[in-house]
Amino acid sequence: MSRMNSNTKVKVSMNRIKRNMRSCIFVLLSLYLVLLVYFAYTLFMYSDRWFADPGNTRVKVDMSNPRIIPGRIYDRNMLTLVETGTKTEDNGQVVFYRKYHELSRCAAHVIGNRQLGIGAETRFIKYLLGYDNNLIERVYQKAFLNREQGNNIILTIDIELQRYADEALGDRSGSIVLINPKNGEILAMVSHPDFDPSDPGKDMKNESLVNKAIYGKYPPGSIMKLITAAAAISHLEGAEEFTLECKGRTDIDGISVSCYSERAHGLVDMNRALEVSCNAYFAKLAVDLGWKNLRSTAERFGFNRDFIFEEVITTKSVFPTSGTKSTEELAWAGVGQDEVLVSPLHMALIASSIANDGKMPEPKLIHGIQRRNGSIVYKSGTKTALNTVPTEIAQALKGMMINAVEEGTGKKAYKQGIEIAGKTGTAEVGNGSLPHAWFIGFAPAEDPSIAIAVIIERAGSGGSEAAPVAGDLISRAIRLGY
Amino acid sequence: MDKKQYEILALMLRYWFVLLLICILYILLKKVIIYKQGGTVKRTTGNIPFILVLYTLSAFGLLAGREPGGYDLDVLLLGAIISVVVLFQFYFLFYFFKGIDEVLLSIVDTLAVLGLVMLQRLSPELAMNQVEWFIYGNVGMFIFIMIFSRNIDLGRLTYPLMISGIAVLVVVLLFGKESGGAKRYVVLGPFSVQPSEFVKLIFIFVLAYYLKIKRTFFQNLPLYIFAALSVILVVLHKDLGSALQYFLLFISIYYIATSDWLLTGAAVATGIVGAAISYKLFSHVRVRVQAWKNPWADIGGGGYQVAQSLIAIGSGGLIGFGLGLGEPNVIPASRTDFIFAAICEEFGILTGAAVIILFGLLLVRGMQKGLESDKETDTLLVCGCVISLTIQAFIIIGGVIKLIPLTGITLPFVSYGGSSMFVSMCIAGMMQGISIKNYRLAKAFEALDEPDELEYEGEGFNEQD
Repeated sequence: MSRMNSNTKVKVSMNRIKRNMRSCIFVLLSLYLVLLVYFAYTLFMYSDRWFADPGNTRVKVDMSNPRIIPGRIYDRNMLTLVETGTKTEDNGQVVFYRKYHELSRCAAHVIGNRQLGIGAETRFIKYLLGYDNNLIERVYQKAFLNREQGNNIILTIDIELQRYADEALGDRSGSIVLINPKNGEILAMVSHPDFDPSDPGKDMKNESLVNKAIYGKYPPGSIMKLITAAAAISHLEGAEEFTLECKGRTDIDGISVSCYSERAHGLVDMNRALEVSCNAYFAKLAVDLGWKNLRSTAERFGFNRDFIFEEVITTKSVFPTSGTKSTEELAWAGVGQDEVLVSPLHMALIASSIANDGKMPEPKLIHGIQRRNGSIVYKSGTKTALNTVPTEIAQALKGMMINAVEEGTGKKAYKQGIEIAGKTGTAEVGNGSLPHAWFIGFAPAEDPSIAIAVIIERAGSGGSEAAPVAGDLISRAIRLGY
Repeated sequence: MDKKQYEILALMLRYWFVLLLICILYILLKKVIIYKQGGTVKRTTGNIPFILVLYTLSAFGLLAGREPGGYDLDVLLLGAIISVVVLFQFYFLFYFFKGIDEVLLSIVDTLAVLGLVMLQRLSPELAMNQVEWFIYGNVGMFIFIMIFSRNIDLGRLTYPLMISGIAVLVVVLLFGKESGGAKRYVVLGPFSVQPSEFVKLIFIFVLAYYLKIKRTFFQNLPLYIFAALSVILVVLHKDLGSALQYFLLFISIYYIATSDWLLTGAAVATGIVGAAISYKLFSHVRVRVQAWKNPWADIGGGGYQVAQSLIAIGSGGLIGFGLGLGEPNVIPASRTDFIFAAICEEFGILTGAAVIILFGLLLVRGMQKGLESDKETDTLLVCGCVISLTIQAFIIIGGVIKLIPLTGITLPFVSYGGSSMFVSMCIAGMMQGISIKNYRLAKAFEALDEPDELEYEGEGFNEQD
């Protein structure tokens, strides 16, 4: 009690100090909490990528005298694409080197090369060097093996299909992605121009090292109409019955929109418009939808999203976000021009999501890991990357895509006996050069087992250039049993 | 040891190190949570010194066998010296000063031990120096405990300290030695001293002694001038981390002491404007911000440090590569600013998280001591100490893991650096001194309250009031 009386004056300010202190503890503790949460989050999301970074000297392998022998890379049918071989040099010294199978050339970007810092050789170095082994295995290897042994990777790639795709593209620039829409396994992924992974110096061209399937950014052209259609069905009432008179060069709310080679499509409804790929119709839908609705649907399909997949790194697809865009730009964005940019893998994923009733699977490249003793651990389990649109909308889009192949622009993709759903795209690039030819689709439409995205740069219209390639590859894939 | 034997041992000991650290964390967490304010609960050191010695000896014992062929007894000896210092603190100081806070001491020692082990692994010569500084730091702690555990009024020192603080910073500006883009060091004979660290002590002291009395704006003017001058001088040294630390320290202590929203807000606004101006003015600030936004874009240039740090942290995984099995020497400044990344690489993310949690516990425990005290200066001093350490840890760990732009500053108790270690230990000493004072106070009241328990004397006691 005595202390209370004598110290009353001080106590008042003391109480205030202590009250402030408590709030200060709160603020500072939350700082630490932010630190801890960010630390956990960022490591969970990115640590694998950082580990596999080409700048990581910890996983550099000295091939003349390796401490760990890197494992093999197989395709899904256990064909050895890359292995570590030994050769004896003239002076009798044994040297290790990465031995590439001759077919590895057609999967150059997928397999990659450690020196160049690309492909599975870089990305999956954790497995190849056996850093994913458990303690017992690692201790055993250190204790009893002369050199440690990395694990073997089984890729989801089917080298047979990959070779067809590679040949289909020929010496044209572009990219092809074949993917299983159910579980996201990438069956083939081609990017041209390519390089020789066993000898990267040989016939290297300007863009050779870029895997365009994942890093390419192209205007999607008419493929965007699928997204515009999905947006219209979910946001505009009676959109599927809406009709428009296409005159080849049609006036949409004061904006003149021309169709490909100014062909007049006549009176079209949504089904017919997608079939013939009518610009005017979808420009009108885009204008009616407005930026907000169109963007929100595009974002549901994964535009403007940092895809952080476990096994595949891909670039971000862009849908314009700035608020100060004109209606004319909106009309063109609705048919995939303006500033819309996509990667071929993303397009294949969009096709997969339509095939899969709206569920976009997470793309996968690793089929399984083979341990030192030969046992294989398969990486099963499908992850859904995104839930894009409800099942009804996916079904509606699928129906229109089937028509587009049977009667519309995608006719050249048609194959007897296989029901293919698809959409062509012809993306103007300006500078007077030919447009990029696009095709995305999936088959069999009933129960899709394969989805595809084809882009051929500066080749012409999607219907005449990309569609036949896609139809061919799909029929071959189905013949291979997918 | 054979190279392979060493590797196997290091691989297996990873689990052991994490286990020991978790034990320490568990004991500390329990003590912090069940702490009774103002009470003189039975204070024991528990098993912490034992665990710490075990940690030190096993780590140094492992590192002794790192060079193939033979067992380096010098390394083991260094570990033994550290163990002796730790044991000395826990048993001698405890015996000498009743009321030393075992939690604060344990946190400081755990962090120091982690830092020393990592330094021994990164660069044995530096570890030797740092152990030396750790011992000097203990002397510093001892002196500060002596000063601050007594009831002497140090208020007279405020103005001389303010002037000498500014003078020291001016001297650095004129005669400082540049290193890593910042003018931080002054060479004093064999030592290279970082005065901005020592000025931090002055800063904490001056703030506490100046703000204990309620004054008007004009009466406070000398303090404002002192604070502004020191921040500006440190910015001119290009030592942005320290500048940020001084600035945040000032506004938080000022707010706690005065509850003056208006001036605190004005100071924050000035700080933001200052940051914007320095972003426009200094190219090195822009480089740092760019490296923070995307270190991978310029991995060969400005982003190199952060990218290498992230690679190291990401490579370690949950329990790390194992002591001596990673390549933390690749990280730039792995001994000083980036030691957290090196620890994460070899001891793993769990140990990294433990470091963050240890600093969090230091904050809570320090504040508990501050709330317990009944003198404004003491409360404000403890606040200054705790906030200074907290801000410093947050700035550098946040920078290393790319939460905020990187500003070069040491991780208290852990990083290499004599000045940093010494000053951090002094700050710990300040907190311990006040803890002892609190203990004596509580003891005194306990003695007063005792008659209360005996009914017949209780009456009489109350009447004396």
